[in-house]
Amino acid sequence: MTALVGEGTVERRTAQYRWARFGRPMLGLVLPVAVALGWEIAVRMGLSNGRLLPPPSVIYRTFVDLAATGELQEHALVTLWRVAWGFVFGVAAGTLVGALAGYSGLIRRLIDPTMQGMRAVPSIAWVPLFILWFGIFEASKIILIAVGVFFPVYLGVMGAVLSVDRKIVEVGRAFRLSGFAMIRRILLPAVLPAYVLSLRAGLGLGWMFVLAAEFLGASSGLGFLLIDGQQLGKPAQIVAAIVAFAILGKATDWLIVLLSAPFLRWEDVVDRGR
Amino acid sequence: MLTLERIGKTYPNGVRALDGVSLEVGPGEIVVVVGGSGCGKSTLLRAISGLDQPTQGRVMLDGTEITAPHPQIGIIFQEPRLLPWLDVAANVGFGLEDRPRAERQERVARALGRVGLAEKVRVWPRELSGGQAQRVAILRALVPRPQVLLLDEPFSALDAFTRADLQDHLLDLWADLKPTLIMVTHDVEEAVVLADRIMVMRAHPGRFFEAIESDLPRPRDRQSAAFDFVKRRVLAALDRSLERATITDDAETRAAAGAALWW
Repeated sequence: MTALVGEGTVERRTAQYRWARFGRPMLGLVLPVAVALGWEIAVRMGLSNGRLLPPPSVIYRTFVDLAATGELQEHALVTLWRVAWGFVFGVAAGTLVGALAGYSGLIRRLIDPTMQGMRAVPSIAWVPLFILWFGIFEASKIILIAVGVFFPVYLGVMGAVLSVDRKIVEVGRAFRLSGFAMIRRILLPAVLPAYVLSLRAGLGLGWMFVLAAEFLGASSGLGFLLIDGQQLGKPAQIVAAIVAFAILGKATDWLIVLLSAPFLRWEDVVDRGR
Repeated sequence: MLTLERIGKTYPNGVRALDGVSLEVGPGEIVVVVGGSGCGKSTLLRAISGLDQPTQGRVMLDGTEITAPHPQIGIIFQEPRLLPWLDVAANVGFGLEDRPRAERQERVARALGRVGLAEKVRVWPRELSGGQAQRVAILRALVPRPQVLLLDEPFSALDAFTRADLQDHLLDLWADLKPTLIMVTHDVEEAVVLADRIMVMRAHPGRFFEAIESDLPRPRDRQSAAFDFVKRRVLAALDRSLERATITDDAETRAAAGAALWW
């Protein structure tokens, strides 16, 4: 009897696990799929001509056509390249300055008010200045993206360093860790979860800023594709570029999560929000 | 030999946490410091550990002054303070970083086996119960084989059963290499279970008020009359230190002690 009950429980657990692992993530697809289907049906039934917002099938065709000519990949790659460099520079600077500001109260008091003020400046406001300083080509765009990435990383790192548990640091002291060993064995692992979060926030802003950069004077990139679609009256191209942005943004974010996961297995997270 | 030479600690705000605390603790001796909250017992322990500096006097270990954390002095805190990003084995082996990998693994595995956590080697700290986590913390401090082990109310956050269990584990581990143990607690029973000598502290400023030697045979029977006698003496001393009337009548205590000694 008990064995039967036990097996039943195991089966139910497996079913529960399957649902949690595969079923639940699918819930997120319900809304977009329903909206897309509804729009497609509405256009097919003649409820709308779909000129301003093409139905999914047209968008899909545009997307495939753009991909077939290699145009989409070319623009996507240019944008990705800009974001990547901007991200690298922004993260490097944000990490360095954030760590210094978190570590030293003096440095924090000196620079943090300025940083907070600069952070409040809208991204587009920098564009004319950067174009003036760094020219119309790649340098100004990459620097703009780096500025966007910098602030969340700076704030995240500073906050993480400030909130490292003093009691854990004391364990390091009790084991006589030198400055470098203290950083490697206590501080770095302690700030890592918050750091990864700040990288993800920085990357998100990087994707926003690349658009700002490409809107204002670019002849390539997904942002250019957007503007081009607007000027030539091709809404399907606009939506296709938006979809490409969404895919790239999600994919790069997922890459950070994936690369950091092995280092964060210890984290006490009940539900990762999947 | 660990020696405290008239240790004093005055905080920048003028509060005198410790004043003229002197103590000599021999190798392998277990000294338990008891006192009410705020009597400076934790301050004292932190001064011995080298994590904090006394403002007067000095701490000497075998003729060298302790001014910073010392390899021969281990410390266990009230909370386990395990590093959450290291598994149990890496936490226990934290102080053995400079040892060869094989030796480290061997010593960690043996230590975990001693406290019944052999199967927890690869487990994250968050998956441990409070008692298990504190056992790991004890091992982390003991595995580098310090000459002196300091314990700052290490079991106060645990339930009574787990606490008694951990006291036994601690004594068992202590018996291996017999380090000097200095523990701070407000649990009088715990003090009597563990101590060779119980130092009663009083506050404002923190000072030793009375020393009570205890030569109860080990392992100690918490139910015995002799145990109870020592416990009453400590309680009475604590009451006196707080200038509070003692409920235990001295004559009665003496009679109980006499009974325990005679029969």
